[in-house]
This record gives sequence, structure tokens and C-alpha cells, in this order.
Amino acid sequence: MAGSHSDPLAHPEVRQGSAVRYIAGFISTVVLMGAALVVTMRHGLDYQSLVEVVGGLAALALLSQAALFYGLDISRAQIWKGVSLILTVPLFIITVGLTVWMFQSLDQRTMVMPASNAAASQPTLLQ
Amino acid sequence: MQLQVPGPWSLLLGRLTLDQIPYTNPILQVTFAVAALIGLVIVGAVLYYKKVGYLWREWLTTVDHKKIGVMYIIVGLVMLFRGFADGLLIRTQQVLANGPHAAGYIGATHGFLPPFHFDQVYSAHGTIMILFAATPILTGFQNIVVPLQIGARDMAFPYMNAVSLWLTTAAAVLVMISLFVGDFSQAGWVGLIPLTELPYSPGVGVDYWMWAIQISSVGTTLNAINMIVTIVDMRAPGMTWFRMPVFSWTTLSTNIIGLTAFPVLGVALALLGADRYLGTHFFTAGMGGNLMLYTNLFWIWGHPEVYFLILPTFGVLSEVIPAFSQKPLFGYVTMVAATFAIAGISWLVWLHHFFTMGAGPDINGFFSVATMLVGIPTGVKVFNWMFTLYRGRITYTVPMLWAMFGLFLLLVGGLTGMMLAIPAINYTVHDSVFVIAHFHCMVLMVVCAGFAGVTYWFPKLFGFKLNECWGKAFFWTFAVGTVTVFTAMFALGFEGETRRLDWTFNTAWKPMLVVEEVGMIIYVLSLALFAVMLVVSIRDRNKQKLAADPWETSRTLEWLTPTPIPFYNYAVTPQVNTRDELAWRRKYGMEHTKPDAYEDIHMPSNSGLPVILGALAGIWGFAMIWRIWWLAAISLLGVVLIVIIRSFDKNAGYHLQPAEIEAMERDLSIGAITAEQPDRSHHIITHAEAH
Repeated sequence: MAGSHSDPLAHPEVRQGSAVRYIAGFISTVVLMGAALVVTMRHGLDYQSLVEVVGGLAALALLSQAALFYGLDISRAQIWKGVSLILTVPLFIITVGLTVWMFQSLDQRTMVMPASNAAASQPTLLQ
Repeated sequence: MQLQVPGPWSLLLGRLTLDQIPYTNPILQVTFAVAALIGLVIVGAVLYYKKVGYLWREWLTTVDHKKIGVMYIIVGLVMLFRGFADGLLIRTQQVLANGPHAAGYIGATHGFLPPFHFDQVYSAHGTIMILFAATPILTGFQNIVVPLQIGARDMAFPYMNAVSLWLTTAAAVLVMISLFVGDFSQAGWVGLIPLTELPYSPGVGVDYWMWAIQISSVGTTLNAINMIVTIVDMRAPGMTWFRMPVFSWTTLSTNIIGLTAFPVLGVALALLGADRYLGTHFFTAGMGGNLMLYTNLFWIWGHPEVYFLILPTFGVLSEVIPAFSQKPLFGYVTMVAATFAIAGISWLVWLHHFFTMGAGPDINGFFSVATMLVGIPTGVKVFNWMFTLYRGRITYTVPMLWAMFGLFLLLVGGLTGMMLAIPAINYTVHDSVFVIAHFHCMVLMVVCAGFAGVTYWFPKLFGFKLNECWGKAFFWTFAVGTVTVFTAMFALGFEGETRRLDWTFNTAWKPMLVVEEVGMIIYVLSLALFAVMLVVSIRDRNKQKLAADPWETSRTLEWLTPTPIPFYNYAVTPQVNTRDELAWRRKYGMEHTKPDAYEDIHMPSNSGLPVILGALAGIWGFAMIWRIWWLAAISLLGVVLIVIIRSFDKNAGYHLQPAEIEAMERDLSIGAITAEQPDRSHHIITHAEAH
């Protein structure tokens, strides 16, 4: 830290950046997100496969951004990036996990169910 | 792919037409006249005293964390005043429009505000108070105090700090413009869905709300990054983690919350924007959309945001209470642990804002328990403050009075919060004014700590104290006003008054509504006293010359700097020896020690780019609101150009030479010789002569 204070270009994070990485990151992001948009707009897939395909594309976009923009790698110089990313994992699990749980429960309790599986589900106010 | 919007649209002006300017509304006529008058006086004064150059060089282009902090607080106080005016309108409307026979004035059926206007007033009140008053004031404190407390020269990224300020200011300006051009959202500060969708809010109100929040939240996120890096990386030698003052700890935790939570808000508003501008269906009731998804995303940000506000407040109390009890803070380590516990739990409780959604007993139970858990670390904090006060040598200065009243409000707000955490009670009082009274206790605690902080740190920054007598008058009227308004509001909540009523239909509510209005009048009086306090203090500023620690009992590092603080903060980076560094140095008679030699100081250069960038962001927001596509494109291009220009800027700041620093330090101590505290000045004389 001490040596790099007067010369910002000496930071390992700054040295890591390159035009090729940024352009590659930009193109891969646009392509992956565009693909997700096209898949959604075409309505060609059933619900389950749509979720899987869009989820897969999102994961790929996330990976390419983390590697190409954010410069995530396992080198010693980038350890703070790894640590800060890992620290966000619990938040990701909490927000997405609890949201899935609450909407799952909400769906079961408030949506009218077909008679065939009504017996297997929790009682709702509608019954 | 432009969506059809109702009303005219032209290529040149978008949706903007002359009809959109509400010049026929008498309330807005008066507001405009007052605003124009204040504006003219300010601009006139700047021109008359030939201060345009000074304003540009010293303030608008500054990257100094202290000046940026001061400007944050000024923006916050202006918006606080605006938000208060909205609050006054709400209270007055509700007391005038009570019962079926309530008279109507200036075009309203009951009271003086038609529903269309009233809805905008409460939406603006909430949005402004949370995002444009409380947040900037607290951010301002963090900007001013944290670098000083940890012994740093400035923030880690001074340029980005200025960018954050001007983005926040641009957003605040957009909210103000909505008064006179178009209208503001009628969907509450939370953006009640699906009311914010285009078919139900076809005007520009929701767009004003949405883009203003979006722009300011970018500023807040950048500021959070800046704060975290500053605290992690810029601490003075010896300032280990567990020597760091509690305010810096709370700033760290609050900005971790800010950094992780604000992007969620950004996403929620961007998806809403996609619905309104592109015709998607993220939050509509049909076409695969889900209304509650918006509410969910909003509160995933919204609840951590509450702690984003409250944690720095706790930090201020943790500085003020020990200083005026003349004792170290009780339970420092538990205080830090409690801070992070609250920050952690803040992510687990958001569903309590919509218990009534119907997610079921398991989920409501989980979030109810999680919410109550917040009470444990908060209780730890309250007891720590209590034990700090216990057998302390308490002086009831103005900051201490604010802190004590803040504690009282925390207790009332916290206990009613525990009640609301119980789903059964929550179902009963959901959307009643009981909830409003609860969270106003909490946010008024933020305001109390804000005024505690203003009066506490003011002399450090400006070199003179705020008048103690008028300060106390301001405090007592404010405190009495608060208790009067919100005691009555709790009662009205139990009487079944729901929130956001433009017409209070039940005549049984009348007595308590009148009590609330009386409280508002006391508030108005307190505001007048605040103004008097400022005027008297500024008038008498030369009557007092203050030493480094004007309160004489402060404990932390920031009070080691000369008063007022020079722009380079510390002539020599301090070596920190212990927690409560100043108290330790005072004990061993080392508070006035001068360094043997000075080294040159690397300072960042001022830059005009942040203020231009803020202005362009504001223009971009305005263009998006009114759908003036060419203007939006040009201003966005301008923003990109500014970023590119900046990245090629080779200006790496400048160096202050040791001789210059020595001369400035000598001038500062000569200023202190004329102080009315001879013994302290004597010290300074001998040391100044010795070096």
C-alpha cells in the first residue's frame, strides 16, 4: 500500500486491467444476456427448461464478469476480491433463499389448486 | 420501442407542455414565490460580495472531505426543511378535513388539499426525509469525522467522494423541480405496487420519484465503497481495529449495509422502469408478473436501509455520551460486536414490512423471531450507554441533551417495534398510524443524533461553538413538539386511524388530531429558534477563540487537530497509542506536543468535473422523466465523456512543503494565543516558541 500511494498505476488491480479483457467481458455479457432475452421472447421452451436455460446463461454471465471485469483469480495479490466475494455468499443465500421460501409458501396458500393435488397440500383459507 | 403514454408528446420537449406547470395552484404560487425569493437573496449575496470565484474554487470544485461533508449536511438540512413543510401540510390537512362536515378551501372538498395533491405531499415527505435529508446528513458526518478519527488526510478516493455528493445533490434538485414542473409520485415513498405502474400512474410523478432515487442511490453506493476503503486502508499508524472510535466502526458496518443493499433498490427500480418505459411485465398482475416481487425487492433494500440510518446514529451517541460523562465508553468490544450483529440481522427481517401478505405462519414466525433478535444487540448498546452514564461526571451541554432525548426515543420506538414484530399485533395495526408513530420515533432519534452531532462537531470545523442558550431553547421546543405529536399519533393508531388519509372521516379522532397540530406548531417554533441559534452564533463567532478541544472533555483522535481544522488535517500523521487517544494524551500532558520535523504532504487537486457530472446526471434524469430522448442521449454521452476525460487526467495532486506546513501551523497557534482560555494558550505559546 505504502509504495503505491503516490503512483496509482502501480496498484496490482490497475495493472490487471487491459483493453482486451474489458472488450471480451463486454461482448460476452451482451451475447449471454441477449441470448437470455431471445430465449424468453420466443416462448419456445416449457417453463422448467426456460428457468434452467436462463439460469444457466445468468451464471455464465456472472462468471465472465467476475473473471473479466472484476479480475477475480486465486492469486495472492487478489485475495481481497476473493474474500469480499465469499462474504457476499451468505447474503445471496439469505435473500434469494428466503424469497424462494416465502413465495413458494405464498403460492401454496393463496393460489387455487387443481382438485387432484388439493388433498396433498396444506389447508388454505379457500378450503 | 416507445410505449404510448397518455397526453401529448413532441420530439423537442417530450411530454413537457405549458399545462404541466401548476401555476394556478395557490399553495405552489406561494411556495414558488418564497423559493424564488430565497434563491434571489443567495445569488444576489454571492454576486454582491463577489464570491463567485471563491464559491467555485473553494466549494463547488473541492475534493476536501470536510467541505464535502459540510455540503452534504447543507443539502440534508434544506431537504429536512422541505420535508418538514410537507409534514406540516399533512397534519394541517388531516385536522381541517375531519368528519363529514369539514369545510373545504381552495378547491378541496374537505380541508385545503385535494387527494391528488395530498398524495404527492406524503409521498414526497417520506422520500425526502429518508433519502434526501437523513441519508445526506449522516453521510456528511461520516465524511467529516471518519478520516479525522482514523488519522487520515482525506478519503481514499477524494474525487469519487465529490462525484457522490453531486449525484445526491442532482437527485435532490430533481425532487425540488417536481414541485414546479409536473407533479410528484402519489404512490407513497415505498412505491405502492401496482399503483406505480404506467396504467395507474400515467403522469410523470412516479418517474420523478424513481429517477431521483436511482441517481442518489448511485451516489450513496459510491460513497459506501469510499468509506469502506478509507477505514480499511487509511488508518494512521497504531490505529488498530480495536483502537478505532465507535463512530468509525458504525460507519464501517453501515456502509457494508449500504454497499450490499442499495444495488437491490437499483434493480427493483430498474425493473419498474422497464415496466414503465419498455412495456415489460415484471411487477404487473398479469403476463407472468408478480406484484409482491417488487415489495419483496424494495424491502430487501428497505429494511437494511433502516439500519443504514440508525447505526451511524448509534455511533454519534457513542461519541457524545462518553465525552460529556467524562468516562470511557462502557463495553467497547461488546458495542462493536452489537453493531455488527445489528448489521447482520438487518438482512434477515425484511418480511416484517408485509406480514399481511399471507406467506403463512412458518414464514411470519421466522421473520418475527428474527426481528425480535434485533432487540438483543440494541439492548446491549442501551445498557452500555447507561453504564457509561452511571457515576459519570455528566454535563448537560446541548449535544448531550440531544443524545439523552435520542435514547428516550430509541426506547419508545424500540419497544413499539417489538410489539409490531408480533404478527398477530401487526395484523391488527398494519397500515395504521401506530406504525407511523413507531418509525417516526426511530427516525426522529436519527434527527436527534444528527443535531447532537451538528452541535458537537460544529466548533471543530468552524472554530466557534453554536450558542448554548438558543441551542437549549431549540432542543426543548423540538423535544416537546416530538412528544406532543407522536404520543397523540400512537393513540390515534389504537383508535383505528389508517395512514395516508386525505380525509379523516371519524370525528372521534378530532381531539388527538388537534393535539398533533399543536405539536406541529411547537415544531415550527423550534425551527425558528434553530434559525435564531444559527444567526446569533455566526454573529458572535469572533467572541470566542477555541482550543483544539473546545469541549475540553472529548476523547477521540479528531480533537487533536487545530481548531478550525486546516485543509490538510494533520501536519504530521499522528501515532496512535491507545483507544481514546486524546483522553490518554491529556492524562499524560501530551495533547499539545508539536512534532520535531514536518514532512511534505501529498494533497489531491480540486476538480470541476464532479459538479459538471452531477449536473449532467440531473439533466439526464429530467430528460428521462419527460421522455425527451435527444436530451437524455446527449447528457448521457456527456457523462461518458467526463469519465473518459478524467481517466486521462494526469494531475496527481500537489505536495505541501515542510516550510509551508510549519508556517501554517504557526499561524494556527498564533490564532489560539488570543483565546479566552489563558492556560491553554500559554501552553501553545511555549510550544510554538520552542519550535
